[in-house]
Amino acid sequence: MTEIIVVTSGKGGVGKTTTSASLACGLARRGKKVAVIDFDIGLRNLDLIMGCERRVVYDFVNVIQAECTLRQALIKDKRLETLFVLAASQTRDKDALSAEGVRRVFDELTAEGFDFIVCDSPAGIEKGAHLAMYFADRAVVVVNPEVSSVRDSDRILGLLSSKTLRAEQGNGQVKEHLLLTRYSPKRVATGEMMSVGDVKEILGLDVVGVVPESPDVLAASNAGVPVIFNDDSDVSRAYEDAVARLLGETVPLRFIEEPKKGFLARMFGG
Amino acid sequence: MNKTADVTREHAVEIRFGQVGLVQVRLHTTDTGSILDELTGRTATAPHFFERTAVCLDLSALAKPPGVDEIRAVIDVVRRAGMLSVGLAQGGASVESLALELDLPVFSHIRATSKPVPVVQAAPAPEPALPALMQHQPVRSGQRVYARNRDLIVTTNVAAGAEVMADGCVHIYGPLRGRVMAGAHGDTEARVFCQAFNAELVSIAGVFRVFETIPPELAGVPVQAWLAGDDLRFARIGEQYPN
Repeated sequence: MTEIIVVTSGKGGVGKTTTSASLACGLARRGKKVAVIDFDIGLRNLDLIMGCERRVVYDFVNVIQAECTLRQALIKDKRLETLFVLAASQTRDKDALSAEGVRRVFDELTAEGFDFIVCDSPAGIEKGAHLAMYFADRAVVVVNPEVSSVRDSDRILGLLSSKTLRAEQGNGQVKEHLLLTRYSPKRVATGEMMSVGDVKEILGLDVVGVVPESPDVLAASNAGVPVIFNDDSDVSRAYEDAVARLLGETVPLRFIEEPKKGFLARMFGG
Repeated sequence: MNKTADVTREHAVEIRFGQVGLVQVRLHTTDTGSILDELTGRTATAPHFFERTAVCLDLSALAKPPGVDEIRAVIDVVRRAGMLSVGLAQGGASVESLALELDLPVFSHIRATSKPVPVVQAAPAPEPALPALMQHQPVRSGQRVYARNRDLIVTTNVAAGAEVMADGCVHIYGPLRGRVMAGAHGDTEARVFCQAFNAELVSIAGVFRVFETIPPELAGVPVQAWLAGDDLRFARIGEQYPN
């Protein structure tokens, strides 16, 4: 049984690609067979974050237009046996995608025995974003704790409940998960940032993960190593937790409160 | 298969309801000469204001129902005065049949008749009211829910940027952060009830109020809104008993 997970948000720059990469790696680390697909045709980034940009020969559009086989286009991850990347095309535009083509690729991945297909959606609500979510079984809505991101996520949730194959066929809802990124408990405490509770209440969804704001994310992107591999980082632990929750485990939320400074740290300003 | 092929097709049209101002011209005669004289006299005072402006012809002040050709001639002179006739004001069966022949719409909400034309016609039987439309899914930003000819009950939240409308009352049992319109077809008795008030806009029978900031006594509490004449009123549910 292959599950299709779309990582989406509406707004750009909130961490969709970082999240797609880390969730895909996290699932693969637990032995699942995972394909992660970049739907951002023309602005491909996933291959950079995954550190395989120099190994892209064929891409998603080539497969859709039957210019190569799926096997030729799937890039096998060097770190994890069961992880494959399907890069976006840098030279085409989003009109190169078609619903029929996307369905064919998904059917083929299903036949190959993949457990998960992670779709990295482009920003916006247009064709690329629409096709990324259209066949989804689940959605991870990435949101930053600020009003415009929350508003855009609400819009995306509306589309998930109406403009997907499941909604159109009346075949149950797309299961929706909320993932907060760039969360800074310190700024929440000072009232500069919305809290997990605020976002949850406005969107009416349960939280699958809270990823703290951290310089580790940028460092990981630059290095081409998904941040979940940085075992020293809270970001990595937060994504590991999110993966566990996606797989149905119950894990308490971490990193939502400011760490209490110890007595000595307070004395010496540490 | 068809389903998927249709996925990316845009809608050909979008139907939206809105209110626009409309100039009304009440005819006291169908004599084209005097109409043209008066209209050109008026438009000369503010030529840009009247240029290609849409007008609605009100025939209620005419002594006897005019003929189709008479009205055609009037439409012609109105055009010569620089304005465009887009419809007729409501005025009974004779206006209805004229409008049909002229292929023009009848505007029903123009209360212009000083001497109402006696209409010997039973009031249209009200359409049987339907059971309320239930909405159990959150209404998300950008979504619209419309309950035609009935009440609307929303059991979850209405997000900022979402719109809920009903021809009857609207009941919202979650936080209301979007826009709500009750009595969308002019029912002034319709009301809005909500559990936690944070609306962007509330409208009843076309009378609306935009909330740039929520008055502190209403913010986040259960509120009902109703029309008293042309006045849109709000009160916390349970504290007062408005009628």
